[in-house]
Amino acid sequence: MTSTRHSRYRPLWIGAAALVVLPQAMHAIGLTTTTASTVVILAIAAMGLNLCVGYAGLVSFGHGTWFGIGAYAAALIQRYWFGDEIALPIVLSMVVVTGLSTVAGVLILRRRGVYFSLLTLALAALTYTVAFRWTDVTGGENGLGDLKRGSIGPIDLDNPLAYYILVALIGLGVLYVLLRVLRSPFGHVVVAIRENQLRATFQGYPVERYKLAVFVLSAVVTGLAGALLGFQTYLVSAEAVSVPFSGELLAMVVIGGMRNILGPAFGALFFILFRELFSIWTANWLLWFGLIFVGFVLFSPSGLVGIWAQLRRRWRAVPEQAAAMSKRESHENLALPALLRPHGKQGNILEVNAVSKHFEGIRAVVDASLTIAAGEIHALIGPNGAGKTTLFNLISGLFAPDSGTVRLLGREIQGLTPYQIFNLGLVRSFQITNLFRGLSIYENLRLSLQARHPMRFNAWRDIDSYTDVHAETAELIRYLGLDGFEQIEGGELSHGGQRLVDLGITLGCKPQVLLLDEPLAGLAAAERERVSNLVKNVAANIPVLIVEHDIDRVLGLSHRVTVMNQGEVLMTGTPDEVRADRRVQEIYTGTGTPEVVHSRRIDEREVKSTRVLRFACVNAFYGKSHILNDATLDVREGEIVALVGRNGAGKSTLLKTLIGLVPPASGTIEYEGRNIAGMPTPDIARLGLGYVPQGRQLFAGLTVRRILRSAAWRGRPTAAMA
Amino acid sequence: MQFEFLLEQVVNGLVLGGYYLLIALGLSLIFSVGGVINLAHGAFYALGAYISIEIGKYLGFGAAVVLSPVAVALLGILFERFLLRRFYAADPILSLLVTFGLAMIVEQLIRILWGAAPRAVNMPAAFKGSVFVGDFLFSRYRLLLLAVVVVVLVSIWLLLHKASFGRVIRAGIQKPDMVAALGIRLQPYMTAIVMLGVGMAALAGTLFAPITIVHPAMGAEVITVAFVVVVIGGLGSFWGVVISALLVGVVRGITINFIPAAGEASMYILMFLVLLFRPRGLLGERIEKFE
Repeated sequence: MTSTRHSRYRPLWIGAAALVVLPQAMHAIGLTTTTASTVVILAIAAMGLNLCVGYAGLVSFGHGTWFGIGAYAAALIQRYWFGDEIALPIVLSMVVVTGLSTVAGVLILRRRGVYFSLLTLALAALTYTVAFRWTDVTGGENGLGDLKRGSIGPIDLDNPLAYYILVALIGLGVLYVLLRVLRSPFGHVVVAIRENQLRATFQGYPVERYKLAVFVLSAVVTGLAGALLGFQTYLVSAEAVSVPFSGELLAMVVIGGMRNILGPAFGALFFILFRELFSIWTANWLLWFGLIFVGFVLFSPSGLVGIWAQLRRRWRAVPEQAAAMSKRESHENLALPALLRPHGKQGNILEVNAVSKHFEGIRAVVDASLTIAAGEIHALIGPNGAGKTTLFNLISGLFAPDSGTVRLLGREIQGLTPYQIFNLGLVRSFQITNLFRGLSIYENLRLSLQARHPMRFNAWRDIDSYTDVHAETAELIRYLGLDGFEQIEGGELSHGGQRLVDLGITLGCKPQVLLLDEPLAGLAAAERERVSNLVKNVAANIPVLIVEHDIDRVLGLSHRVTVMNQGEVLMTGTPDEVRADRRVQEIYTGTGTPEVVHSRRIDEREVKSTRVLRFACVNAFYGKSHILNDATLDVREGEIVALVGRNGAGKSTLLKTLIGLVPPASGTIEYEGRNIAGMPTPDIARLGLGYVPQGRQLFAGLTVRRILRSAAWRGRPTAAMA
Repeated sequence: MQFEFLLEQVVNGLVLGGYYLLIALGLSLIFSVGGVINLAHGAFYALGAYISIEIGKYLGFGAAVVLSPVAVALLGILFERFLLRRFYAADPILSLLVTFGLAMIVEQLIRILWGAAPRAVNMPAAFKGSVFVGDFLFSRYRLLLLAVVVVVLVSIWLLLHKASFGRVIRAGIQKPDMVAALGIRLQPYMTAIVMLGVGMAALAGTLFAPITIVHPAMGAEVITVAFVVVVIGGLGSFWGVVISALLVGVVRGITINFIPAAGEASMYILMFLVLLFRPRGLLGERIEKFE
């Protein structure tokens, strides 16, 4: 799992070689050494920005702010304190940027995604107006002139080549620092947060601190570039903080390639060459640059580096990594690795005592109590809406209970945040598989084990040098039976494989008690077997609370069972006691025969009635999960057809496929003799298929009458599904 | 005296707020329905101003006020059909980047077509001068602008809340799948919303050309203000945008009077203050896709 020293630092060698040839190459096409310096300076700025954009997934539209602040700070510091010194102003300006970006980061990082981008845009606009208007300090429109490059020993930095060498050395240093940071545990966590912030939070990482740190580092690197450009041009003006400049920086990152450390540097080179060469014959080079930028976003989001990689793949065929399940080795009945076992805890691990929760008048959970002892699998069952998931959320801290207590190892935990509860060793899985889809299986699991390691904030040591974490990861992978799959991306695995990795991530958090929310939902029979064996195996050392709809399997699996109905605990007992209990039977199968007002049995004659709907060999997928497998059914005139099955069996998906909300991969769906497979939903609905989904799908703020009226003039449904 | 002075600033601030409102409301509508943030919105505003100058040369100011927004709304159809439509289901960051690039392209096109120099637009003679309202002296043209903004605002509100068009739009924002299952195609509604949004931006460009400076970068300048307004009000909230636009206008108007240089900075500071206490804006709701 470790890489050689050579390949680790390959970008550094490429960068160094490029810096050596750059001035000559520039001269060869009629450009100056100073232009070469500009390229390097912009490359530094763009690499700094890319820390945010490419690695942390924080798309900043306002990094010109830090570029400009770095420049102004260096200029002012030199002017007032240091005469013609250059080193100290640069260092001190980095200190200034660190301070300001920490303050800004604390504020802006409260928001994610698009909001973050808009806030950075506003920040750039704010800095621009300050730079432009605060004439006393910034010189306003004229900027700050008369900067001095000074000299280092006998070397006069006013010489363009000397200045280029200085800039190139700093650029190489920055590249080295960024490489170290990105290869460190810190860098890997930053990427993990980009991939799935929620998952990283529930591995125990304080994600906000990581994001702030990477934001500040990114700002400082960009600010350093700003200071260097100021000294190069002997002038700092408001141009450097303008919003268009921020956009150009972002364009360099996108055009170069944002998932690659050197990509933005190539983007900067491309930008300068484009500007210098195009402006010779047209004043409107920015128009063409804009078109190229849009072209890259639309057609090649991985930038120049991505195009290069594609070309290389064409020249040199890369051996395909066989991801076949046949590679999966099974080590059934391996004992839970010692590193994951909690230390000799006996007796009751988790005690839930009379907890209640109301939501706006609905009694979701009322006086629920349960106890989980060491070594046991405790199942929580009950019909839909019984309050099982709510109880789960109360225990794991997603909601605080209105009353009652929750004790973990004797300590009251109700009212703590989910994060605090997690850190006390209560780890839960989520109903929906939750992993880092863009990261390898190995990476997924290692991130989990590394979360409790003291080095998790280390931003300098190479990740490969932590042999203990790697050994633990290898052991966990072997335990899960995922060897041979280490390098496959999480999202590439089958549904069952993803569920295993998800469980592995939860186990890697070294829990005292494990809460599993429907771990078997949506799995095929063989996968159910495999996952339930794993749960059984784990429970020998870590007690498990499990919510599951597959009653037969869960009763076969667990030691104690708690049955919930309508928010209350109905009973707790052994699986046999639960099976024998009449109240439980009533909940699950109903009380005898329901009254049927109007019943028609299908007899010979009615089979001949016209077929309204035909569903033949339909297959549907959610990503990698095969949900409908050759599903076939008919609906005839006058019939009511009921579709029954377990949770995750594909009932809802079948209806959604029928109405066109889920496009079928293959098969025929005929309605009144017409194939409607693949048609858009509105067209299907207009043919007369009505769809009533589960849950309350009302439109808030609209009256019932209005909703019906909106729909009414679109054609009347003739067949209803529910 | 102090009170009268303040009142005058408030009215000027309201005019300014109405101007922001025309731009920010369209931005917010396109965002609510399509889930895309249109960084090129300012470009349509600038196009509105330039096209109105061209039309004004031949047909006069009155015709320009009507025709320029219509022309830009027609451009909006192309914009929606060939660019925006690709991004409704995609990562919102992609649409942000693409519309940003488009804004850059349009600004350059304006430079090529109309030159880089700023243009002054003459106010029609009928609206020059000032009138007394009670004891206060107001510019006629500003009062006219305020009236137009109010009319537009009321029409949009009626369209969204009383017409069946608005019903479908509001239902589509909440549960697009259910609207589709009722047999309603959302695509044409989306086109209409984009036309409406960019049309309003163009109207702002046209109406405010006589009291601002028309230049190629005007779109880029106004777009950040529009975002500040939307962010303060809360993404996707109609009344949030209205309140926030007026608030920003008034705060800016008053600040300019006391510390002229800090006029622009004041609204950013207002924004950061609001976000400290209400991270989703004044009336914003949590929208998972944009977190």
